[in-house]
Amino acid sequence: MDAAPSKPTDSFFLRHEFLIRRLHSLCGLIPVGLYMVIHLLANASIVNGVESFQNIVYQIHSLGKALVVVEWVFIFLPILFHALLGFVFIYYSKNNLSNYPYRGNYRYVAQRISGMIAFVFIFAHVLHLNGLIHADWFRESIADAIGIAQFRPYNAASTAANALHNPLVMFFYLVGMLACVFHFANGLWTMGITWGVWVTPKAQDLASKICLGIGVLVSIIGISALFGFWQVDVDKAKKREIEMYEQRSKDGSIYADEHKLSQPLRKSGAGGK
Amino acid sequence: MIKDAYGHSVKSFQVRVQRQDAPGAAPYWQTFNVEYEPDMNVISVLQKIATMSRTSTGKETTPVAWDCGCLEEVCGSCTMVINGRVRQSCSALVDRLLEDNPREITLQPMSKFPVVRDLVVDRSRMFRNLQRVKAWVPVDGYADMGAGPRQSRGEQETAYPLSECMTCGCCLEACPQFLKVELERKPNESDAEYKQRCGEAYDTEFLGPQAISQAVLFNAHPTGKMMAGDRLDALAGPGGIQVCGNAQNCVAVCPKHIPLTTSIGRAGRAVTIHKIKQIFGGS
Ligand code: SF4
Ligand code: SF4
Ligand code: FES
Repeated sequence: MDAAPSKPTDSFFLRHEFLIRRLHSLCGLIPVGLYMVIHLLANASIVNGVESFQNIVYQIHSLGKALVVVEWVFIFLPILFHALLGFVFIYYSKNNLSNYPYRGNYRYVAQRISGMIAFVFIFAHVLHLNGLIHADWFRESIADAIGIAQFRPYNAASTAANALHNPLVMFFYLVGMLACVFHFANGLWTMGITWGVWVTPKAQDLASKICLGIGVLVSIIGISALFGFWQVDVDKAKKREIEMYEQRSKDGSIYADEHKLSQPLRKSGAGGK
Repeated sequence: MIKDAYGHSVKSFQVRVQRQDAPGAAPYWQTFNVEYEPDMNVISVLQKIATMSRTSTGKETTPVAWDCGCLEEVCGSCTMVINGRVRQSCSALVDRLLEDNPREITLQPMSKFPVVRDLVVDRSRMFRNLQRVKAWVPVDGYADMGAGPRQSRGEQETAYPLSECMTCGCCLEACPQFLKVELERKPNESDAEYKQRCGEAYDTEFLGPQAISQAVLFNAHPTGKMMAGDRLDALAGPGGIQVCGNAQNCVAVCPKHIPLTTSIGRAGRAVTIHKIKQIFGGS
């Protein structure tokens, strides 16, 4: 890149501003946006029943120890990169919606607000269900006490549903999820302009409609997932999950790991058996 | 005759002006009472204010400074923020403005450029940005080189609207991604040194839709094309097209109805391809 008009005295960010901003843009779609769609689809399987959802979680957890690496490399770090840089960009912009209340300007502001909501939501959501630290001492001493890290992959539906069975929590998830979906769908549209996929106003209008369609579709998937969890009978689900666990760990189709259950089987008496 | 909200005809109206005595000085507001006449524009209002040089409370004051040139919306020099919205003051008709608010008109300098005095701003950054993207056709001598390459009808039709830009700054004023850059002058600094320092500060900040669109215009020109690579490098450089946040305010406020977001889309596409070639093709 010999002809680049930046000077060696410029900061690292300035010298690579183009690549950093484009990487930020790309990151929003791959892997972050794509992951979100897959995540919501997987969650929506709860509509089909506890078993369907549990089976998908088994599949994900068949990665075993590699799962943590995949989570960090393809999910957490890209989200952090996209979000933290996003905050820097918001800081260096000057919103003027009150003087110029145009549609594009509303979308511009909404994109930034939804991004901030999405960040808060995702952070809370990851802590609430995943918890990031999977060590026993952390769970026993801190997590359980303050109600974080509640998800157990081998009691997938029951722990998720239990964590969501509170109208306030549910509302928070609904708002957060919709903010994420809006940010994704609208971001897809602006990304197409940024990269030069849709150029003319006519093409941008068409693309806008398609992105709206995608947004509505993904929202429906997300709402179905939340609705599905709301309807789960936690105790029944737990029983069924333990049956599944006993059977599948015996036939060797999943890794036996009692840390991934709500309680170790011995203590709980395997659900009263 | 214009009527106010109660059906009374308007005999006079107030003009609130955001004033500033010198670069970097604190801005302050003054109100002037202007007698109504039909068919005034904001420039004629400012002329009346200059002859009065007296605020609405009767206090004597310096005349408000402003800039203008063509008086027909082609030079861009009279651009200011009128009732909160950026536009040319020569084409801002008082009758229309009073329809929105029969009592008052507010005038402010553009907020994205350094104020020279009152409503006069320093728009040199826009011209510096044109230099950054080499917004010209390269001709390096006086020798007659014969007729240039022909431009098709279609090319002319896409180029013409872009060539109408009058460097007024409306698009930059309304762009949420374009931020003001103003350097304080050091004691004993010469004009040239100060200008140099400002230019360097401008060079890493956002180009804005005006310069991006001009880069697109000259990259489409048969002779201008010869420097297309340089322009794309400038567009991908610090403060380049990547800073655009797609708010599309620029296209909404441009008084020349220049399809700025189409230019941004075209430039975005060209830069994407150019960069991929540069990174993977080593060119
Ligand atoms: S589209 Fe880009 S250049 Fe135009 S106003 Fe929005 S951010 Fe500024
Ligand atoms: S593009 Fe339009 S708004 Fe921007 S400087 Fe040119 S004429 Fe003015
Ligand atoms: S005086 Fe030239 S545009 Fe207003």
